[in-house]
Order: sequence, then C-alpha cells, then structure tokens
Amino acid sequence: MATAPYNYSYIFKYIIIGDMGVGKSCLLHQFTEKKFMADCPHTIGVEFGTRIIEVSGQKIKLQIWDTAGQERFRAVTRSYYRGAAGALMVYDITRRSTYNHLSSWLTDARNLTNPNTVIILIGNKADLEAQRDVTYEEAKQFAEENGGFMLKVNIKMGENVEDAFLEAAKKIYQNIQDGSLDLNAAESGVQHKPSAPQGGRLTSEPQPQREGCGC
Amino acid sequence: MFLQEVARACPGFDPATKDPEFLWLSPYRCTEPQPESTTPRGWNSAPGTWPGCASIGGGGSNFGSSRPNGKGLPVKESSRGQDKPENLFSRQPKSKSEITDMVRSSTITVSDKAHILSMQKFGLRDTIVKSHLVQKEEDYTYIQNFRFFVGTYNVNGQSPKECLRPWLSCDIQAPDVYCVGFQELDLSKEAFFFHDTPREEEWFKAVTQGLHSDAKYAKVKLIRLVGIMLLLYVKQEHAAYISEVEAETVGTGIMGRMGNKGGVAIRFQFHNTSICIVNSHLAAHTEEYERRNQDYKDICSRMQFCQVDPSLPPLTISRHDVILWLGDLNYRIEELDVEKVKKLIEEKAFETLYAYDQLKIQVAAKTIFEGFTEGELTFQPTYKYDTGSDNWDTSEKCRAPAWCDRILWKGNNINQLSYQSHMALKTSDHKPVSSVFDIGVKVINEELYRKTLEEIVRSLDKMENANIPSVSLSKREFCFQNVKYMQLQVESFKIHNGQVPCQFEFINKPDEKSYCKQWLNANPSRGFLLPDSDIEIELELFVNKTTATKLNSGEDKIEDILVLHLDRGKDYFLSVSGNYLPSCFGSPIHTLCYMREPILDLPPEVISELTLMPIKTEDDGSRLESPMEIPKELWMMVDYLYQNAVQQEDLFQQPGLRVEFEQIRDCLDTGMIDNLCILQTFSHSVAEALLLFLESLPEPVICNSAYYNCLECSGNYTASKQVISTLPTFHKNVFNYLMAFLQELLKNSAKNHLDENILASIFGSLLLRNPAGNQKHEMTEKKKAQEFIHQFLCNPL
Ligand SMILES: Nc1nc2c(ncn2[C@@H]2O[C@H](COP(=O)(O)OP(=O)(O)OP(=O)(O)O)[C@@H](O)[C@H]2O)c(=O)[nH]1
Ligand SMILES: [Mg+2]
Repeated sequence: MATAPYNYSYIFKYIIIGDMGVGKSCLLHQFTEKKFMADCPHTIGVEFGTRIIEVSGQKIKLQIWDTAGQERFRAVTRSYYRGAAGALMVYDITRRSTYNHLSSWLTDARNLTNPNTVIILIGNKADLEAQRDVTYEEAKQFAEENGGFMLKVNIKMGENVEDAFLEAAKKIYQNIQDGSLDLNAAESGVQHKPSAPQGGRLTSEPQPQREGCGC
Repeated sequence: MFLQEVARACPGFDPATKDPEFLWLSPYRCTEPQPESTTPRGWNSAPGTWPGCASIGGGGSNFGSSRPNGKGLPVKESSRGQDKPENLFSRQPKSKSEITDMVRSSTITVSDKAHILSMQKFGLRDTIVKSHLVQKEEDYTYIQNFRFFVGTYNVNGQSPKECLRPWLSCDIQAPDVYCVGFQELDLSKEAFFFHDTPREEEWFKAVTQGLHSDAKYAKVKLIRLVGIMLLLYVKQEHAAYISEVEAETVGTGIMGRMGNKGGVAIRFQFHNTSICIVNSHLAAHTEEYERRNQDYKDICSRMQFCQVDPSLPPLTISRHDVILWLGDLNYRIEELDVEKVKKLIEEKAFETLYAYDQLKIQVAAKTIFEGFTEGELTFQPTYKYDTGSDNWDTSEKCRAPAWCDRILWKGNNINQLSYQSHMALKTSDHKPVSSVFDIGVKVINEELYRKTLEEIVRSLDKMENANIPSVSLSKREFCFQNVKYMQLQVESFKIHNGQVPCQFEFINKPDEKSYCKQWLNANPSRGFLLPDSDIEIELELFVNKTTATKLNSGEDKIEDILVLHLDRGKDYFLSVSGNYLPSCFGSPIHTLCYMREPILDLPPEVISELTLMPIKTEDDGSRLESPMEIPKELWMMVDYLYQNAVQQEDLFQQPGLRVEFEQIRDCLDTGMIDNLCILQTFSHSVAEALLLFLESLPEPVICNSAYYNCLECSGNYTASKQVISTLPTFHKNVFNYLMAFLQELLKNSAKNHLDENILASIFGSLLLRNPAGNQKHEMTEKKKAQEFIHQFLCNPL
C-alpha cells in the first residue's frame, strides 16, 4: 500500500465577498459538501469551512471564510479580510447592481489585504441565462482591467466551483514558489507546515517505487 | 442681586404673585385637552419673560442674611467624601450602576480568528486516513493471481554440484515470485562462529542460474542465519509493486540463540497484500519433536519486523495476509521401524505412512502451525539418502526415512498447484522439495484508489466542518424603543448550542475598545456551552451621563452590531437598533437655555444643532430667539424644592426613588411640570434629580477652564467672585441662582438641619469637576472645592 503522506503542508485563507444573495454561502457549501442549497438564509455573521486540495503535488488546506453581504454589516465584515491569501469576489449575472458594486468590493479587498492576495471574479448563476443582465465579455474586461481572473460559475450545478478555488490556490502557490509571497509576513494568509518526518524506512533491493498514487 | 436683576429684566415679574397664569407654561401643564392650534406654543411665545426665579425670591427674603445655624446634621468628612452623586442610585436594590463602570475584558478581536483556527492536530490525520484506507480496501482493490514458487533444500553443507533447473524450473510456466530456502548451507565451524561462508555466494549463483529461463528476475532480498538462507526473487516487471521489504532472523540453537537452528524470514508488501516467507530449520532427532514445537513457537514470537512508521509496533509473522512456511522442519515418522517405513514407501502407501508423521500429529493436536495448511504428500520422504544417490541411508545410524522438508501456507486465495520432491538432485542427503501456488494478491485499481482516498479525505474535511462549533440564536435583531435617560431596558435571547461543546464570547471589532457601545452591556458576555445546551443572554441598555450628550446631538445613535464569536467556530452578528428620547439630562447648560420648548417637542435637527452649538460667553443675538437666563428644567426643580421642601429634613442626603426620578425626568423633558405636584413626588427624589442633572452636564457649572483658578483662590472671596464673573453668562447665571437657592435653604436650617458644610461638600464636587475626568478628586482638591463653594454660602452674593 502506498505510504504517501496524506497531510497538508500549507494553509491558505480565503474570503468570499460580494453583495447579498449572490451565492457566496452556496459557493462555500458546494465546495465543501458538494451540495446545492436551494434555500439558503442570509449570512448574518461569518461562517467558514475547510477542505484539502492538491496543487502541484502539494496538499493545501483551504480555510474559507464566508461573510455577510448585507450592506449594514459591511463595516464589520471588513475586519475579516486581514490575512487572506485569496479573495473570491462574487456577483450575480442576473442582477446588474451586484456587478456594479464590484468596484467597491474590490477596493475593500485591495485595501484590506496584502498586495499579493489573489482576487478572483466569479459571475454566478450561469444557469439563469435567460435573465442575464451582465454580459460575460464586460465582466471579463472588468477582470482584466483590474488584473484579475474571471470565471463564470454555476453553483447550482457545481460547474466551475472547484476551478474557482483551485485557480486561486495555484496562483497563490506560484507566488510562494517564485518568492513573491513572503510566508513570514504576518498577513500573507499562508501558513506552512513542514510534513511530519518519514522515518524508519529501510531500503530494499531493488528500490521499489510506488508510483502514480496521487491522492 | 441676581434675582433682583432677573426681576428687572423680566417685565411683569411680580414676586408676590402666587399663582401666575403664564401661558408659556401650558405645554407643561397636564390638563384636559385644549383646543389645538390656538394654544400658544411654549417657550417662544413669551420671549424674555422667563420668570423662573419668582418663587425663590417670593416672600422678600433677605438672601444675604442667612447664616448657618449650626444645627445641620453632623456629617463626617470621610463618609461624605464617598457619597458621590453617582452612588445615589446604588442604594436601590435593583442597582445597575455597575453598568457605568463595566469591565470590558474582551481581548480577542475578529481578526485574530485566523490564527486561532489554524492550530491543527497533525499526525493524527495521517493515521486516520491510513486506517480508513485499510478498512475500505475492498473498494479499490481486486484480486489477481500470481504464481509463487516455493522451494526448500537441506544441502548438508555441500557446494552446488548440479544444475538446479529440475527443481527450480519444474513448472512449465515461469513463476512470478521465487521463495527459495536452504538449510545446512555450511556445517563448518567458521560459518557457525564467524557467520561468513563462501557457500552463500555459491548457492545464490546456482539458484539465480536455475531460475526459469522464460522470465527475467530481480533479487528482492537474501537473508541468512549460519546455514539457513532464504532468497526472494520476483519477475522484473513486478519489482515496482514490492515494498516495505524487511528481513529478520531468529536463532534457536544452542543456548536457545545460536544460529545452527532457527529461522529466517522476509516480509514484504506485494501490491496491497502483505506476505511473509519463513524458512526454518528445527531441532533434529526423532524423539525431539517437542523441541521442534518449541523452536517453531520461538520463531513465531521472536520474529519481529520493524514498520515504516516507527511509531507503530513491530509486525509479527502472523500479522500478514499470506504466510508461506518452508524448511527442514525435521519432524519424523514415529512408532514404525525402519523396515516397515521403507516397505510402505515401496508400496507408495503414503497415506498410511502419513498417519505416523509427527508434523501431521502435532498440527492435528493444534500445538503448532495453527491455521496453516499443507498439501497432500504424494512424494516419498526426502530424508535420508546416501549422497549422490537415491538410496536410503546405509550408514551406521541407518536412519528411518522421514518427510523432513515441508512447505505450509496460511491465508486466503491460495491455491496449491503442485507439491513435490525432486529425486534428480543428488548433492545432499535430502531431496529438495517444491510447491507452486496461485496466490490471489490484492491489486490496486488506481482510479478507484484515488476515488476512495478522495472520499476519505473529503469525509474527514466534512467531519472537520461538522466539528466547527455552531449555535442557533433565538433572536438576532434587537430593537430598543424610546430609550430614556437612566432607564434600563433589557432584551434577552437564547443561545442554543449544537453538538460541539463551545466557548462563546462577544468580541471587539478592530479599533474598538469594547465589544459594544458604552450604553450597552451583554450579560454574560462570555461563557461555555455543552452540546445541546442553552444559555440566556441579556442585553442591557442604559444611557448615563457619559453617553447621553452624543445621543442627544445625534452623533451617536442606538445602533450597534455585536459580534458573538465561537472559539474555533463561526461568528454571529447581532444588530441593535432603537431610538433615544433626548433629555435635558446630559444637555449643556447653554443648549437648554436656548430651548424654550420642552426638549421632546423639538425636532431632532434643532436638538442636534443646539447641542453641538459651541459655548459662548455672551448671547451674541445671532439666534432668532433670545435665550433664557437659566435652563427652565433647573428652575422647575429648584422651584419645586423651594415651594415644597425648604424645610425638609435631610434634603439632599436622603436618596430618592427610581420610579420618581423617571417621572421627574419625563416631566422635565415633556414640559408636564404640573405632574411633579400631582404625582406627589417626594422632595428627596426631586433633590436627587437636581444633583443628577448637575452631574450630567457635559460642561460643569464652573467650566473646566476655570477649575484650577477656583481652587487657587478658594480662600479669597473677592478673587473667587472675580473668577465667577468670567464664566460664560449662562453658567454664571446658574451658579448664582443655585447659590441663592442654597442660601435660602440655609435660612431654614433649624428645620432642615442643613448647614454650609453639608451643602458645600455636596455641591462642591458637582459644580467643580476635575477636568481630567474620572480620576478621583484628590482630597486637597476636594477640600478646596468645598471651601470655594462655602464662601458663597456664608457671604452675601
Ligand atoms: N439559480 C441559481 N441560484 C443560485 C445559484 N447560486 C446560489 N443561488 C441561490 O441564490 C440565493 C442566495 O444564495 P446565498 O448563497 O445565500 O447568497 P449569499 O451571497 O451568501 O448571500 P448573503 O449571505 O446574504 O450575503 C439562494 O437562494 C441560492 O439558492 C446558482 O448558481 N443558480
Ligand atoms: Mg451567505
């Protein structure tokens, strides 16, 4: 049997932000539980979930914070941005107002996180094509102008949900690899855990190699 | 003096008029509804006619002549010092005065949370994943048969002289795995004592050359204990699926340790099946079967392989999926004499002979090899022959033939294909034995394995998510309506805990000193909850002098968001909203002077504007309406006391009643002044309200800027009066007005037992407040403040 270490070596903190009702909680739930919540109450507070993913053979534990989107809590939710390595900024493609508010969410995300924080734009509810109020192209342009990624996501069907989280993780990991993200900085949003030592392994002849057992 | 000036300034002022019909008072009168709109509205209808001091001046008393009568209650300085106005309410049973100096111990803020959450048990997760993987093995493995060749050969100390193919390559098909064991590899003393022998290399070569020629093999392991050697080969293509190879030896010879007898073993993982091969050479001689049993048991108990994870206990032989045991077990045929044995062999009556086989008998008695199987013996005994021949031993000892060399197995999915001896090999006094097996090995389906592993990791993630503490709240929005000054309002809610024990706490938002606004308090603000348990939290709202002014001005509102934090868990926001009814309590003196109408009749913008208006030395006439000389509310309280309580014993020393204070406050703020009398309010409550009013002034009567001047000239009345004359007009008016009133009280000291000292000590700390704020007055400062007031009580104003 394979003896690959099953543990994670990094923890990334993510925040999910955006107007109320755009699907932030559903996004988290879909990612952690692979289930769609048709009737999701408004988040009045901050919830979070975790999941372990793999990027370039490294296991990474994502710690995802889902914040309340209601305007009246904005001042309080701002205080949860600190130390986020990734920010998923969600809008609802059927409601233009949620798209129009993106710049204000983006400003908060930029001001309250470190310069390396990876921000991903997510246009949700792609299943409601008939009610589309924001075109993909303009959102993509907005994302590009702001140096970010754009993903269209259908949380209901689980489409692209994994990608949203993975893309951000890949980018963060890349930032770690090329040294642009300093892990020792207090607000990097990343914690590194050196894997437990794999002692006691005696060599055998020929060295049996267990391969292709990614997990 | 002051009152005379007031009288002069107020046309129509007649101190003698006992019951003046002042229209401006109408909003303060609690009478039957009058025809609306015709009623002149309040204060602005009679500008400049504020006759507030009429009653005090009434009766033509001589303000200046009042002297202390020395009959006041004896008051100890020390106790008076502690009897600060803040504590007036504290004597009431339902005191909430602690609210004013709440201890806010919250130290965590929301942004610390990331750190708290990251503490994770580390090694545990690996172990859990592994054990889940073992449990779910069937989900991602399938059984595939592999051909194992198992051979055993006691070579009697000889070097290889013949090709071993007839033994090792007896099968048409090339086996996948070779397990080849030897005994008595070298009988020399050197081998015994120095553990080194050229035979190892010789026989290794011979075996390697004898392997099936249809396949290429890789040696996995060679292990030797003196003359006992075990070799493990696999087909090259399987090498990648062999892991965790360990080899060990156990000597059971002389002294129970030496290596002339005992066993060697190799264990390994083939795909997902753990396999252990044992080669043993047990004690010799027919009668020694119990020694052989003992050797077997020793090997079983002492053979221990270390594991990859050093924290796990070592593996024993029995803890393997497949065990193959070969060797010269040395069990003999008993009870029958040599001739009888040879005769049965000749007749090929192996079954009959087998009944006398010691191994068979011991296994049947369950003394050894429990759970093992051996194939049917269809070949003649492999011991003992004259070397180089197929003839039975012709030596002196003439040993009886025996099935010394055996192969047994234990485990599932093992199918023996052959079990035979090889007469063609004549090098030794033993014949080699072989057995070929089809062994079902658990092979991993990569795709299913990945899926299973993912499921396990996911379920652990889910478990972790499910273990995040979570509660439900009976209420998350709290509306406090019509909040009044110093009137406690309580809203409660229930926290119901889920299945994870948790610690909760209201935490500070960043850059805030406490978890909520100063006028609010949660009780309790932190605690611990067992699974499925409840706790009731009370939100207590109490506006006091510290918070009232900003609520009046609108700079602060009854609005707040509380963050209820669960340790390692979610955060919940609680919204607090409501409205505050502005009050004269907490309003600045000059603001009140500009309010001709009751404060609750004014639109919020006006209250806000007047509250924020900077203090002026003189009225500059910039406002449409001219201000009153002193706040009407002050006049109302003083007037009431003057009318009803100048002779009241212990005035200002007896606490009032909370309900009465609330009525008084409402009367003042709504202008329903007559209620004060109708409600039969006790003088003590009004007196206390007056003190609370003075205490609630954001800027004390003697302005902060004049505080130290006053202390300095506290022995010099002329200088003191000079300082007072520099105060802003309204403050000066209030000061003079109060002093006049107090002097009036002192005239009645025979009845009310007040004296200058008592009044100076009560009012000293209210009119003169240390600008630094909450710090307790130093004793000397306090004394000087009293002295300062004292001068005004015993000198003509
Ligand atoms: N049709 C459709 N509905 C969706 C999708 N994603 C979410 N919803 C629905 O949108 C509603 C709001 O989703 P939430 O996840 O509660 O929104 P939120 O962003 O967390 O809102 P707040 O907590 O108030 O900030 C829910 O009723 C969801 O069922 C989607 O992809 N398609
Ligand atoms: Mg939500």
